Amino acid sequence: MLEVRGLSLRYPNGKQALTSVDLTVQPGELVILLGGNGSGKTTLLRCLTRTLTPTAGQVSVAGRDITALSGEELRQARTSLALISQHASLVRRRSVCANVASGALGHYSSIMTSLGRLPRAEMASALHHLDAVGLVHLAGQRASTLSGGQAQRVAIARALAQRPRAVLADEPVASLDPEAAEEIMRLLKRLARTDNLAVLCVLHQVDLAYDHADRVVGIRDGRVAFDLPKDDLARERVRDLYISEAA
Amino acid sequence: MTTVEERIRASGAPSRLGGKGISGAIQFTVFLVVIAVIVQSLYVVEARPQDLITGAHGMADIISRALPPDFSKFHSELWPTLETIDIAIFGTVAGVIMALPLAVLAAANVTPARWVYYLARGLISLCRVVPDLVWALIFVAAVGLGPFPGALAISVHSIGMLGRLFAETIEQMDMAPVEALALTGARRSQVFTHAVLPSVIPSLLGITLYRLDENIRSSLVLGFVGAGGIGFQLLSAMNLFQYQEVSLLLIIVFIVVLVAERGSAVLRAKLS
Repeated sequence: MLEVRGLSLRYPNGKQALTSVDLTVQPGELVILLGGNGSGKTTLLRCLTRTLTPTAGQVSVAGRDITALSGEELRQARTSLALISQHASLVRRRSVCANVASGALGHYSSIMTSLGRLPRAEMASALHHLDAVGLVHLAGQRASTLSGGQAQRVAIARALAQRPRAVLADEPVASLDPEAAEEIMRLLKRLARTDNLAVLCVLHQVDLAYDHADRVVGIRDGRVAFDLPKDDLARERVRDLYISEAA
Repeated sequence: MTTVEERIRASGAPSRLGGKGISGAIQFTVFLVVIAVIVQSLYVVEARPQDLITGAHGMADIISRALPPDFSKFHSELWPTLETIDIAIFGTVAGVIMALPLAVLAAANVTPARWVYYLARGLISLCRVVPDLVWALIFVAAVGLGPFPGALAISVHSIGMLGRLFAETIEQMDMAPVEALALTGARRSQVFTHAVLPSVIPSLLGITLYRLDENIRSSLVLGFVGAGGIGFQLLSAMNLFQYQEVSLLLIIVFIVVLVAERGSAVLRAKLS
């Protein structure tokens, strides 16, 4: 489970990027985060991955507060939180299977893994995760040969190899065609259910949000504008999210 | 209604890029400066074309005395040839072993701390700015004549050349996979071997092969300061006026350089 309490962030230049954000994602739930450019979505994700340190508030993953951690403790805590970014960020010269297996490295501390070897046990489960995203037949190929949609699915398999409790997705379909985008969203939703993961996904496509979300959170000017099950969410409220940005 | 042209004019954008008069003056000044630089170099090097013409006779004399090459000495030149090549191989391998860790510390995107970065950059620069011939002189003074000081000189100079190119390669790589792996909770060493190295290794190998080619050339010359190999043979033959041996040595040098150059190019082409 992913829980955010009273999260605030003020940049050193004085800009208040986030103000007292509260947000909970339950295991098995797909929550979609909507907001215009500059609304604070990216800043929020960066606070969740602790690439940025919030000025106030708490982020807990699987019951553990990660805001105060650093060094080795932070590294360990990060293994339970997977990030899927807009670009798949695979190591292009390695095989698809090796890319997936490398997601599990955080659980290993042997010298061999530091010397560039992958844990043998992980190669088998990497194939399993590739099968889950429907790409097991590409396991031996170089990552550089994949299409955008395939690469993004491999990135999801890598996230699974990490054995996370929660998954963050930062505009995972932004550079994909509609069909591949649909595929990725279905996959995220299925994984939330089958692996009991808490999935928080930032999107720009309102229609995809309506199609796939369990709950939609709107963010505007660094504050939560609404947090509703998608069936209770009126289209006007979503539109307001973007209109006030333009003004 | 205004036309596009009118609106562009109203915006104050220049109708043509750069004022003609100003750029003309600058062009003429640059032209004068370039001419001045060339003329002063002719003056400083005391260039006298007529000396080439009067010296032609002496050159023809040396060439006639160098022909035919003395192939009876071929066998005794094999060992120095091997020495020359091995100086380059040792120097390249030792250079890579020391340059790689230094390059990691000297790449702004992966260096652990700012002061480490400057220290590593400084060391690499020091190795590079001192020419290999000077390093050879230093090592000959330190460990005596022979191939070893030559190999050490090539190693140290290679650290400087490889270190900078390695660091630049690491700095130019795509950081997204590195950051992605770091966020999975992988350790620093794991991120390095699983994301940084696989991305840069082909480039590093290419740079190394190119360096090997360059090192073979410099190891040919290093013998002139007593650091072993073919250069040393060449110097001795010159001093003893054995011009037929000199011509044989030049043929060997020609073959070695050509093979190294082609071999390195072919291997690099296979990499990419």
